[in-house]
Amino acid sequence: MYALADITGAYAAMEKVFDASIRFRSVCVLSNNDGCVVAICPMAKKIGVPKFEPYFKIKYFLQKHDVVVRSSNYELYQSISDKMMRVIARFADNHYVYSIDESFLHFDNYKRIIDDWHQYGHVIRRTVWKETRMPIGVGFGPTLTLAKAANHAAKKLDGFDGVAVIDSEPARKAILSRMACDDVWGIGSRLAKRLSLLGVNSALDLANQPPKQMRKHFSVNVERTINELNSIRCLEWDEVKQAKKEIFSTRSVGKRITQKYDLRFALTSHVAIVVRKSRRQGSLIKRISAFAASSPHDDSFFTRSQVYEFPVATSDISVVAAAVLVMLDELYQSGINYYRCGVGAIQLESGEHIQSDLFLKSPDNMKLMDCYDSINKRFGNGSLQLASEGFEKKWSMRRELLSPRYTTAWHHLPKIYC
Amino acid sequence: MNVVPVYISAGISGFESPAAEYKELGLSLDDLLIEHPDATFVGIAQGDSMEKIGIFSGDALIVDRSLKAKHLDVIVANYNGTFVCKILDLKNRSLLSASPKHNPVNISETDIFQIEGVVPYSIRVLQTNMRLISCMP
Repeated sequence: MYALADITGAYAAMEKVFDASIRFRSVCVLSNNDGCVVAICPMAKKIGVPKFEPYFKIKYFLQKHDVVVRSSNYELYQSISDKMMRVIARFADNHYVYSIDESFLHFDNYKRIIDDWHQYGHVIRRTVWKETRMPIGVGFGPTLTLAKAANHAAKKLDGFDGVAVIDSEPARKAILSRMACDDVWGIGSRLAKRLSLLGVNSALDLANQPPKQMRKHFSVNVERTINELNSIRCLEWDEVKQAKKEIFSTRSVGKRITQKYDLRFALTSHVAIVVRKSRRQGSLIKRISAFAASSPHDDSFFTRSQVYEFPVATSDISVVAAAVLVMLDELYQSGINYYRCGVGAIQLESGEHIQSDLFLKSPDNMKLMDCYDSINKRFGNGSLQLASEGFEKKWSMRRELLSPRYTTAWHHLPKIYC
Repeated sequence: MNVVPVYISAGISGFESPAAEYKELGLSLDDLLIEHPDATFVGIAQGDSMEKIGIFSGDALIVDRSLKAKHLDVIVANYNGTFVCKILDLKNRSLLSASPKHNPVNISETDIFQIEGVVPYSIRVLQTNMRLISCMP
């Protein structure tokens, strides 16, 4: 048996943990740079706060309805998530963190201990709420895809109270028949449209398709999804966690960039993020792209991008940063008020099987990079950085409605009145 | 989680310390004061109503959410939208202070009241601590 547990309105719920005054108020959280709404609590949902809408467009609506608006406080969210994941992990012998607010549990040989999964789900929910103040939904199923479907039912379908279990044929059919195709894990909205042309509308319709044939029409992934929906295990953790094929770091800047060296600082900081992420998954960067642009709302919109290919795939930050310097001359033009910039590793190679080239030696300083990684791992990202990332970071993210870092900074401890 | 420290050695060594085999982990205050790390948070006390039991303004409170609040436990609660530290009187459904200046507060139906956790320990801050003082008003 598998289970998927995830937080309802994660970031909004996390804002409520240490601010007692907003526990029973509508809360929404904005994305990077306070761009648009990315999370809403159930109360905000009830009054119709739309998700993914630009903040400036709904600012008046939010004010009128007295909605609490917060910037994304990633320091707080990660800290709460870490604690919550450890609490959830107590309930199974196998636990896999899928994202900041989602995790899978795997129960092998639990049949003798647990006879009522529904009740067990409520024990998990209650404990997580009591210990971390996170409201979660829990779905159980014999495959990862069915666990995900049960989780969807637990939170979205009427008649479920935060827990749903697929442990029998009637339960499976009842839940899948009430779900649309694109609510199924791995079925995007475009694929769902194509499926609906074949008369496949509900998740149960999809489950009833012949898998082999669907593979021919669509892909092996659709075949596997159909099998998973029929309780046949096809997916395992390791496949769920695929190495990313592209890694991007882009962001609009809090304050417009006009100077060339500021643009270099910003781009190099993105390089640091991209290199860190690709190193973490053991990839080497073969090709990167960089772009810089003004705002599309400006009178004359300016955008440029550049691609750079490394002779030998690299994971050395100084090698990648040097490439930025090459591209900078093309990206920078004086007189432009830069609003967005970013760097992306657009071609990655596995670090495991490196093709060594007789004539091209890798310029990577492995020892230095290992040292760089371990220092930043121990003392926190950014403890050791390139000088070309700049130190002021005045262009960094705008977060005007930021809550305190209650759990990670001594000077932000929550106040308790006596 | 306990981490066993492994020290860097440069490959040059004299005689090994005769105590090396007896090395233990150092004492950690977390280990002593925080029984349930994933369910615990730290807050800072404000006000004088708990002075009789030794909680003064500016002290650090350790709050454990996993403990079940019992009669006369020192607790932290969300009382009408603020965190308060009081003594829980389950029999009279009220919050008691530890100070003659403050009367018991009855919890009524119309109040917002959620128990946040039990305070198993508080840390008396005797000297000025720059990091803690900056979260005072």
